[in-house]
Amino acid sequence: MHRSNVNRGEKENQIDRIKKKMDSVEFDAHWYRRVFHTFGASFLVYYLLPDLEWINLFKFWAPILLVSFAVFLECLRVTGKINSGHFFGLRVYEKKRFGSYLYFGVGVLILLLFFPQQIAVPCILCACIADPIMGELRNNLGKKQVYIIGFIICMFLFLITWHKADMWMMFLVSIAGASGAVLGEVKKLWWLDDDFMIQIVPAVLLLIIWITISYFGFVPPEPIIYSW
Amino acid sequence: MKNKEMYYLKVKRSDKNIVRTEILLTPLLIGLPMIIGILLICNWFYRGLLTYSSVFDGELILGIIILVSNIMFDIPFIRSLWRSFKEN
Repeated sequence: MHRSNVNRGEKENQIDRIKKKMDSVEFDAHWYRRVFHTFGASFLVYYLLPDLEWINLFKFWAPILLVSFAVFLECLRVTGKINSGHFFGLRVYEKKRFGSYLYFGVGVLILLLFFPQQIAVPCILCACIADPIMGELRNNLGKKQVYIIGFIICMFLFLITWHKADMWMMFLVSIAGASGAVLGEVKKLWWLDDDFMIQIVPAVLLLIIWITISYFGFVPPEPIIYSW
Repeated sequence: MKNKEMYYLKVKRSDKNIVRTEILLTPLLIGLPMIIGILLICNWFYRGLLTYSSVFDGELILGIIILVSNIMFDIPFIRSLWRSFKEN
């Protein structure tokens, strides 16, 4: 009895020590935000899920509920009902408007639900990969160089996703998509985040191309990810 | 946008619980994209490579892109976290 009490006490002490250690850490918001970006690539699992009735229902409602929850939280925060201090890694300009992560989520939601996979996948990857790389390069290089490198990275992502298409279509889509993504990143507005623009601007451009090529009788390529 | 606005909001001493939650989220932030990348590569291996089908090659490249990009940002993130742990 006495021994088990001692063990419990030791364990509690150990947990307290770990908690104190965690609390004393000055968590790096910079890298945290970058990792949050690359984490977004996980949403591509959406296309791996099998085509079953109940899973399709889940695929439709899960992203909507997730984003709705984030909207609810952000509404509470912006109206002052929740302190901004409770949200880690927010920037100063995000104090009085919705956080970037919400724009990111809304962008992903729109792409997953309303755009074909061939358009959604490269646009999501632009936000997840090209955006943080451009952000990092901005610390060391000039604006022009950053946008050129960003354009090349985005173009590569579009080329990969459209590699099954005809050569002319592949290059047309890559150039249009990469231009849209860089344009979405260049124009920084207070009320509309670049995390949203970098996804939606190229998606809209690609959708126009998609409709046009279909109108002229050309067939867009097959999707890149096949469900289980 | 002004440079000052790009700074991060400070976390108060009383809100340290939030930081703890973020630390506990780290395995998910790092692990999940890795799992998705590996799943894509596995999909390519079993349905593409073993059946001699090139239809799944795109999944291999996507899987590699996701893995590499995540590792690229995870390393400095973990390093900074580790440094903070050691300093305190």
